[in-house]
Amino acid sequence: MRKNPPRRAQRLLLWFLREDLAEEVLGDMAEKFALMVAKKSAFRAKLNYWYQVLNYIRPFAFRKSRKYFNHYAMLENYFKIGWRNMSKQKTYSSIKVGGFALGIAACLTIALFIRNELSYDTNYPNGDRIYRVVEQYTEKGKMMRGVHLPAPAGPAIKQDYPEIDLVARINPVELFGAGSNDVRADGTIENTNEDGFVWSDPEFLQMLDATFIYGNARSALTEPNSMVITKSKADKYFPEQDPIGKLMIVANDQSQPYKIGGVIADFPVTSHFNYSFFMTLSGKEFGRGEQTNWRNSNYPTYVVLHPGADPVALEKKLSMLGEKYYLPMMIESGFPNAKEEIKNLSYKLQPIDEIYLNELDVRDGLNHGDIRFLWLAGAVAVFILLIACINFINLSTAKSANRAKEVGLRKVVGSFRKNLIGQFLSESVLFTFFSFLLGLAIAALSFPMFNTLVGRTMVFPWHEWWLFPMIITGSIVVGFIAGIYPSFYLSAFRPIDVLKGKIARGSKNPLTRNVLVVFQFTTSIVLVISTFVIYRQMQHILTTRVGFEKDQVVMIQGANMLGDKIKTFKEELLRQPNVQHVTISDYLPIRGTKRNGNSFVNEGKRGVDDGLGGQFWLVDNDYLKTLGIRVAQGRDFSPDMPTDNEAAIINQTMARELGLTDPVGKRIENWKKWTIIGVVEDFNFESIKEKVRPLCMVLGNSPSIVSVKANSTDMSGTLESISKVWRQFAPHQPIRYTFMNESYARMYEDVERMGRIFTTFAVLAIIVACLGLFGLSSFIVEQRSKEISIRLVLGASMNSIVQMLTRNFVKLVLISFVIAAPIAWYLMQKWLQDFVQKVDITWDLFLVAGLLALVIALVTVSYQAIRAAVMSPVNSLKSE
Amino acid sequence: MIETRLGEFEEVILLLVGILGEEAYAFRIAEEFESQTSRSVSIGAVHSTLTRLEEKGFVNSAMGQSTAERGGRRKRIYSITAYGRRALEAAMDFRLSLWRQYPAFSGKVNYGLS
Repeated sequence: MRKNPPRRAQRLLLWFLREDLAEEVLGDMAEKFALMVAKKSAFRAKLNYWYQVLNYIRPFAFRKSRKYFNHYAMLENYFKIGWRNMSKQKTYSSIKVGGFALGIAACLTIALFIRNELSYDTNYPNGDRIYRVVEQYTEKGKMMRGVHLPAPAGPAIKQDYPEIDLVARINPVELFGAGSNDVRADGTIENTNEDGFVWSDPEFLQMLDATFIYGNARSALTEPNSMVITKSKADKYFPEQDPIGKLMIVANDQSQPYKIGGVIADFPVTSHFNYSFFMTLSGKEFGRGEQTNWRNSNYPTYVVLHPGADPVALEKKLSMLGEKYYLPMMIESGFPNAKEEIKNLSYKLQPIDEIYLNELDVRDGLNHGDIRFLWLAGAVAVFILLIACINFINLSTAKSANRAKEVGLRKVVGSFRKNLIGQFLSESVLFTFFSFLLGLAIAALSFPMFNTLVGRTMVFPWHEWWLFPMIITGSIVVGFIAGIYPSFYLSAFRPIDVLKGKIARGSKNPLTRNVLVVFQFTTSIVLVISTFVIYRQMQHILTTRVGFEKDQVVMIQGANMLGDKIKTFKEELLRQPNVQHVTISDYLPIRGTKRNGNSFVNEGKRGVDDGLGGQFWLVDNDYLKTLGIRVAQGRDFSPDMPTDNEAAIINQTMARELGLTDPVGKRIENWKKWTIIGVVEDFNFESIKEKVRPLCMVLGNSPSIVSVKANSTDMSGTLESISKVWRQFAPHQPIRYTFMNESYARMYEDVERMGRIFTTFAVLAIIVACLGLFGLSSFIVEQRSKEISIRLVLGASMNSIVQMLTRNFVKLVLISFVIAAPIAWYLMQKWLQDFVQKVDITWDLFLVAGLLALVIALVTVSYQAIRAAVMSPVNSLKSE
Repeated sequence: MIETRLGEFEEVILLLVGILGEEAYAFRIAEEFESQTSRSVSIGAVHSTLTRLEEKGFVNSAMGQSTAERGGRRKRIYSITAYGRRALEAAMDFRLSLWRQYPAFSGKVNYGLS
């Protein structure tokens, strides 16, 4: 390696360094360099030279005269004039900058949101090779996709396909004790209810390359009954100690404690795994033969492919699983047309980073983002920014009169058009830059609110390196877009016309400006109408008759810890004055409560008919009464009928799908035979976006949730007495309860959230558009102030003046409305397609939205108009 | 208006200028700083501080000798002015008075200075 200082670094240094410093600085640097070469290496010396050069970038060392910066003086002048213009017209400037800043803030926050949504599961080291196995089943031409595979499927895949490096299964099914559980450290008394329990293969944490704080991925879960917890949980239960080897009691089960095998860092928020307790599947079997049984599907399964393996080719090969493993099982169970049926089964490998947005519409019970919503949000952001840009363009061209003389003069003294364009562009960049800074401030300040709005916990990216470069590039790009039309427009003035005074009053109503205003209002009105529709749909969902009564019902959770005492607990509750009914069942028409899918057939038709997939719920005698579910045919369960132990109540959908016209007294079977004693009216127990699915209820024991129906509206009093009873029975366990109507509303949070987001941005769009209108109208009033004064002097009424000034704007808003209405109708029609129960888009929505836009526009404009009309004519006539 | 207070880093640099005497130029000062404090510093940072000290009137400077390893370039030698010496003394007195007021140390520490 040559032992000379790096030439590039030297050139850089000389480029910015003051000439009188060059000698001493270069000398010092040469000495340092020689020393570094002698002591370390030539490479380190060069590196250090660069470091030293970069450290000379300090104000004291800079050249004072910038003779290398050709147009410095010119640019300085441009910015100076720009600055003066800005400070001379405070109102216009603040409208321009403020509107722009609002638009930029909206755009920025939405962009951050979109970025957050796209960043899910993107940070695993082997992420590009991790896939989730998705099972596809084509039924009546419709493809259903699920992720729950049978327990032996994972090991079978690992064994049969050498191109797979690692297979890991998890079991998140509540029936097996995953989900939420009461938990405590061994040796303490009080339980805490925690979410995020999951059964997992030891390989699972290895696959995700989880960061271990205590223990390691290789051995943490290998021992049976071991468990890995996250850092936050470790801090909670074992503060300031190494929890490895410590025991935890899960679900109050003293006989089977779990030994902590490791502690991992919490998963980032942007991960679809929100688990905190990983209980090992090693040596675990849920019932005899469960691990080798192909009939029950409970295990989402993840694979890591060998580097270079082709997932598409593997997907094809995976279809062999059906014939090899499912078919023998199906033939054994006597499935009709098993051979044909199995052809409908295929597999897909879903990359781990696509799981969150779920474009394949896989049924996996996880929370998902919505790609269509992201597109929509992105479009709204762009439109708001466009509206803001239009303000800028309109105000710049409208105020052109004030700049016309300047343009004329500059041209006369020899400015080329290209210079003028440069000037106006740099001015526009200057404006945009200020707007960006202000927009950044607005975005940062409103970020906590935005987080609540979208229900995320994002952090404002101050610490990210790209933020400030982005602002600079952003202001240049947006500044160009917004400034290009005004600068061509302004620079085109002919000096002779200008100096003669022809353009002195500016153009009155150029077509472009009107078109742009129409565009602004069209966008705003579309947003307003959409907001109305979304709101109405939301109200519809929350108030529509769902088939059960969710008001005044308290759900007491974790009641299973009462054990045998639960019956007495129920009786005691019923003795309270405000309590009307009490039922014990974990199966409720609320998301997050227990579900159990079974296959049903009419009696004796097993193996003849296709099984009907339906829910199989365990309830008690008071279930229907407590939830106010109506019996359509037959009767409710009764404690006086001992035969009811073999009785079932089904819903209308199941009766219809099983082809039972007179179901009462008929018998159906899943794994046992049941006599139908009643049919209930359909009620929604999944999302109201979907159709009601078949349901069968029998008497049984599922003691985690006790639901209490109160007969008074005094809920706090009722709660008081419920809590008192609870304390008698479980003094060590704090009561946990939720209101059913609140839990129900939470199921539709996403719709509600969408409504709120739309409202916010619709309001924002209208505000920005109105800012522009305000600026335009004040300009027009100013322009016609003499005319108005003369009209007033000659006896015009105030009314006629206001009318004259507002007429044009009203016309524009009306045109916008005519354009916006069909667009909004079309978009909302599309959006509503998702819902089974939808509101009608009625004409009054359009009327209200149109009127609203009109009124807002009129108020904005007439403020200026009225001010002009009540002004004393003398003021504007006395000058000149 | 020129700021006349002495910052902590400035104080150290000023002292080093005094210690190095005829050898007080930016590179040497930076080296000496690194070896005495075992903290790294760039020549640019030292140079900028020296310029500031000169503006405040604490040091003077003049171009000195050139050497071969500098490629025949001369160095700028700095020297403390009387005003700079006073500023250093004032800084030390202030420190000492603070130390004496600190009860845990008062009477126990002897600096061998006073």
